Amino acid sequence: MKSESNRQEESLSVRDLITIGIFSALYFVFNMIGGTPFGINPVLTFYLPMGCALLCGPIYMLLIAKVHKRWAITILGILMGLILFATGMHWGMVVGSIVMGVLADFIAGIGRYRSRKLDILSYMIFSLGYTGTYVVYFLNRESWIGSMLDGGTEQAYIDTMNATAQPWMLPVILIGTAAVAGFSGWIGSVLLKRQFEKAGIVE
Amino acid sequence: MTRSSDRNNFISLNPDPRTKFILIVLCIVAAAIAPALEYNLMIVAAVALFGMLLGRWRYALIGIGSYALIYALTGWAAADTEGTARGVLLAFFGLVHKVYPCGMMAALVVRTTKVSEFLAAMNRARVPKKIVIPIAVLLRYLPAIREDWFAINDAMRMRDVNPSLIGFLTKPVMTIQCIYVPLMMSASKAADELSIASLTRGIENPARRGSLVQVRPGIADIFCVCGFTALLVLGFVWR
Repeated sequence: MKSESNRQEESLSVRDLITIGIFSALYFVFNMIGGTPFGINPVLTFYLPMGCALLCGPIYMLLIAKVHKRWAITILGILMGLILFATGMHWGMVVGSIVMGVLADFIAGIGRYRSRKLDILSYMIFSLGYTGTYVVYFLNRESWIGSMLDGGTEQAYIDTMNATAQPWMLPVILIGTAAVAGFSGWIGSVLLKRQFEKAGIVE
Repeated sequence: MTRSSDRNNFISLNPDPRTKFILIVLCIVAAAIAPALEYNLMIVAAVALFGMLLGRWRYALIGIGSYALIYALTGWAAADTEGTARGVLLAFFGLVHKVYPCGMMAALVVRTTKVSEFLAAMNRARVPKKIVIPIAVLLRYLPAIREDWFAINDAMRMRDVNPSLIGFLTKPVMTIQCIYVPLMMSASKAADELSIASLTRGIENPARRGSLVQVRPGIADIFCVCGFTALLVLGFVWR
């Protein structure tokens, strides 16, 4: 094993890339499991990012603990963005996922990917990427709605939509997602300390 | 088996992975601009047709059948519901109609693309390794998670841990540990094993990667792209 400072400076090795790929697969599956009950439910669909954030904390934390090099989180964000893009999700989610991936990478990088608190914070930031769609939605509601009905949009429909999606929901979604992600990341850090360090999976 | 022998059989043609990506992008744009629900139905039908050409009859038929059901439900929601229920239902179906054609296309592509073909095509398209390797591993590892999950499920039942929602509510800490720990352990073991295997096979070789699989777009690929482009143009005209 080389010294700590050397490893930090190294670029991603093939081993790291494969680790990122495998953990991205796990991340994607848990995202789906957490997100689907929200996605298919018309009332809860606005809270989808929370469902997605709920289950993935441990995976994110272990990925950082295993790779701790710059760009690992960015690649995770890009992969998730690509999957979201390929499955036709709204572009707000795709862009959000990639931008927040870069941002989360830098935040975890401040603690050299070893500070548990900053790692959790970085996971909170990463999870916020999925709220991109809703930010776009609340900023430009009419064009979103207009694309859904055949050509013209009825006034009555816009009224009901406005009643369903109150402006206060945006901060609730943002803060709620960050809180859920923080909780999930905390569970991840506990699991990391209790199980994976003991088992020698991470040093 | 080489690609040329595949292509002689029209029923299961095997397009270049790059063609498939172009089709995904065309499908996304088409779904994004979709001027009417009938147009969405046409996109799904086109994807189903593409699936049949790839030899995935069952997938294509189930895909278009479920979409027809959703389509009928949307018609019902637009006509027979009122007030808040209508708003919520239409918002929901609006989302489904945007996502469904692309999701169906993406799943079809993932199911029909071999990792070796994918790597060869990405190499030819000169996509950087840092993105290609994780994607290839991700696609390859997804079915393994499924297998792991069933194995873990069995093991949990044997040890009297209920892996369902009820188990989660009664014994949360135990259930969380019993799901995450084995899944993530096996993931990190798999990562180690895969990297050793791929290093042995010379993945770090700085020279350009050669490949036994020949990926080249053929006439069938051009037809597929033309078909979807025509669909897209129709969408713009319709608008």
